[in-house]
Amino acid sequence: MDYREKFEMALEKVQKAPRYTGGEMNTSVKEWDEAPLHFGFCFPDTYEVGMSHLGLKILYGLINRESWSLCERFFMPWTDMIAIMKEEDIPLLSIESRRPLKDFDVIGFTLQYEMSYSNILAMMDMGGVPLENTERGEKDPIVVAGGPCAFNPEPLALFIDAFMIGDGEDVMTELNRVILQRKKEGWCREKCLRELAKLEGVYVPSLYDVTYEEDGCVQSVVPNCAEAQATVKKRVVTDLNNTYYPEEIPVPYTEVVFDRIMLEIMRGCTRGCRFCQAGMLYRPVRERSLETLLHLADRLQEATGYEEISLSSLSSGDYSCLPELIRELMKRMKDKRVSISLPSLRIDSVLKESLEETQQVRKTSLTFAPEAGTQRMRDVINKGVTEEDLLEKVRDAFRGGWNSVKLYFMDGLPTETEEDLNGIADLARKVVGEYFAVPKDQRARGLRVTVSVSIFVPKPFTPFQWEPQDTLEVIREKTEHLKHVLNIKGVTFNWHEPYVSFMEACFARGDRRIGQVLRKAYEKGCILDGWNETFRFDLWMEAFRDCGLDPAFYANRRRERTEVLPWDHIDSGISREFLLREYDRSLKGETTRDCRKGCNGCGLQKWKGVCGYANAGSV
Amino acid sequence: MLAVFEKSERIRHIGHLDIQRSVQRGLRRSGLPVAYSQGFNPHILITFASALSTGACGKREIMDVTMAEDTDAETFMQRMNRAMPPEMQLTEARPVDDRHPSLMGSLRAAVYDLTIREKDQAEKLISAIPAMMEKEKILTLRKTKTKLAECDIKPLIYALRGRDCHVYATLALTERESCKPQMLLEALKAEAGISEEVRMLVTREALLGENGAGELIPLEKL
Repeated sequence: MDYREKFEMALEKVQKAPRYTGGEMNTSVKEWDEAPLHFGFCFPDTYEVGMSHLGLKILYGLINRESWSLCERFFMPWTDMIAIMKEEDIPLLSIESRRPLKDFDVIGFTLQYEMSYSNILAMMDMGGVPLENTERGEKDPIVVAGGPCAFNPEPLALFIDAFMIGDGEDVMTELNRVILQRKKEGWCREKCLRELAKLEGVYVPSLYDVTYEEDGCVQSVVPNCAEAQATVKKRVVTDLNNTYYPEEIPVPYTEVVFDRIMLEIMRGCTRGCRFCQAGMLYRPVRERSLETLLHLADRLQEATGYEEISLSSLSSGDYSCLPELIRELMKRMKDKRVSISLPSLRIDSVLKESLEETQQVRKTSLTFAPEAGTQRMRDVINKGVTEEDLLEKVRDAFRGGWNSVKLYFMDGLPTETEEDLNGIADLARKVVGEYFAVPKDQRARGLRVTVSVSIFVPKPFTPFQWEPQDTLEVIREKTEHLKHVLNIKGVTFNWHEPYVSFMEACFARGDRRIGQVLRKAYEKGCILDGWNETFRFDLWMEAFRDCGLDPAFYANRRRERTEVLPWDHIDSGISREFLLREYDRSLKGETTRDCRKGCNGCGLQKWKGVCGYANAGSV
Repeated sequence: MLAVFEKSERIRHIGHLDIQRSVQRGLRRSGLPVAYSQGFNPHILITFASALSTGACGKREIMDVTMAEDTDAETFMQRMNRAMPPEMQLTEARPVDDRHPSLMGSLRAAVYDLTIREKDQAEKLISAIPAMMEKEKILTLRKTKTKLAECDIKPLIYALRGRDCHVYATLALTERESCKPQMLLEALKAEAGISEEVRMLVTREALLGENGAGELIPLEKL
């Protein structure tokens, strides 16, 4: 029996077989032989998570659009399927043509969160691709990766051949062209990697040597060949209106996490929240025009039949023509029975008018992210939201007939005190108060206030990249305290186990050595770490011990301002001076204005014409 | 509009609710003038003759879509087949008026092709058919929501024969009583003395209704 037959048999036994079977609308891509270059797009998590991801849909469409390249999808199977695959010797197969991963010329992983790293090793292993780049031969695929976590590529440097840093739309095609040329001209692997290293925004880790200080800190990361650039500058697409966006996207049969049209209205954010890595990495802010968006919305609706469109960006409330966009979308979509949802609303920019308009279609729960409980703490993290802002919006919402509010906070932020934690409870109590202040006959029944508190993870390229994460012990104490003070009628408190956040902190700011821990942990059985039921903290700790590395060195250490950081050879466009300036201001509780109100000199001003709000003369 | 569609082998694990949603989205993609229900959460007015279970393919599944405007069958077919994935194509469509009897109410039976994966198992099962059909009662277990109950499926088997690796069966399928392919298989296994697992692919070939002369004919022809 060949592996495809065995796979068919496995489908009869697993839960949720549809996550493996494909055949979805808008996925009938070309035949294998129609295109010379075969790209395996790997999402290192389950189908349901991966099919909710906008980046997959963009690159899937972009690669398949070129006549010379073909893209098929791979996802991380669930444990029941993995067990059968191991037992029956079935390789990891693509969704479309059910070919093993190793048959592709290039395989690309998207790096959305650190806790998916063990899945990358698992997928390569199951797909017949040697794990480390030094173990791969001429016949093995070139393994590439991109996405936000690629900005600190070092923890994966042993495993990935080439990283794409920054926006993927342009560099993806350039990279594929090089690999196509390799195929045509028969270049050896080494030659191909050196050619890739010449591309702007491409980092080939094997072409750099890392040295360490005696205390374990990085001493230097330097190129070991002429093709490698000393610093790798991130790619930026400057005009989103002239950047590829798919007009036909796959429509899964089964429900996935985000089962709707995602309309990316802009990229980047001008707010400058100091904890937010995305806010730094996706700079500068770039908007799609009203015309482009309306065209895309129409086309996507026709091609998918979806019932819902969500406007997607880091801060949709800041989009300059938001009221016009919403009004026009609602007008066009009403007869098609499509509802419009705004997912990441900033509470200080929600237009009352827009709120009332969304309400005509569907009344969903409102989400606010004050992030911290006191004004002092919000000033430290530069979250430009005041208590009065929040309460005003909540009041409007309750008066408008909403009864469900979600509030998102973090604990473990730099300089946090007990007073800041108590502030979370105070704010929740005030929100409850606003509900009861609305006369009974004018409010919806059944108040639900959900307070979710996640644990702060310091990230590279943020002003807090030098800061330690709270130790597990401190986090546990803080959670207990929060449970106590958040015992409020009408309020549900959701907290997080600290272990995953701790591992995330280790890998977010990890160096090249931590890759050994990843491999060890995988060999011990760590996979699907983003899922509570499969996360094995004990095995991760064993792996650290086996490698002689201390997780606290990565997670809980305050870094010297002069220290060479493992990602210093990656240029995100944001200058170290800016980050240090922001770090200092945060410790003094000083806020920094929104870039739209004036340039703060983050560093992008040096790349002429890239940022619309940049002022070359600014500090 | 009455339409006949296929649920292909590749997507046989998709459940009925997901198939329903996919058809609805297909209708929305097609731009055809379909009627929506009134109310706060409007949905397309559509009924399916019978839910096809997860794991089974269907050759001639039937749905009835209420149109908001008159639409001819050819336009319906063309636009839907462009709007549906290759795994769920339409093979037939026919306008019917509002007085057309309900699909579910007219349904009497279904024709199945049970493809047995192991050859010797297939041979044993097929050779057990005559002896089983001569029995007065064919007792097998029926799973209800709460318990397993013994029932006689003999009156529910309208036709049964086998060839090569296939068992072809016409089984009762009404709102009141029905015989599932799995129940038939269990009975055949008992007769053939097979205790181990039998892997089979279930394909529902057709749905049948009863005409004025009391004959079973394809439901879509009624």
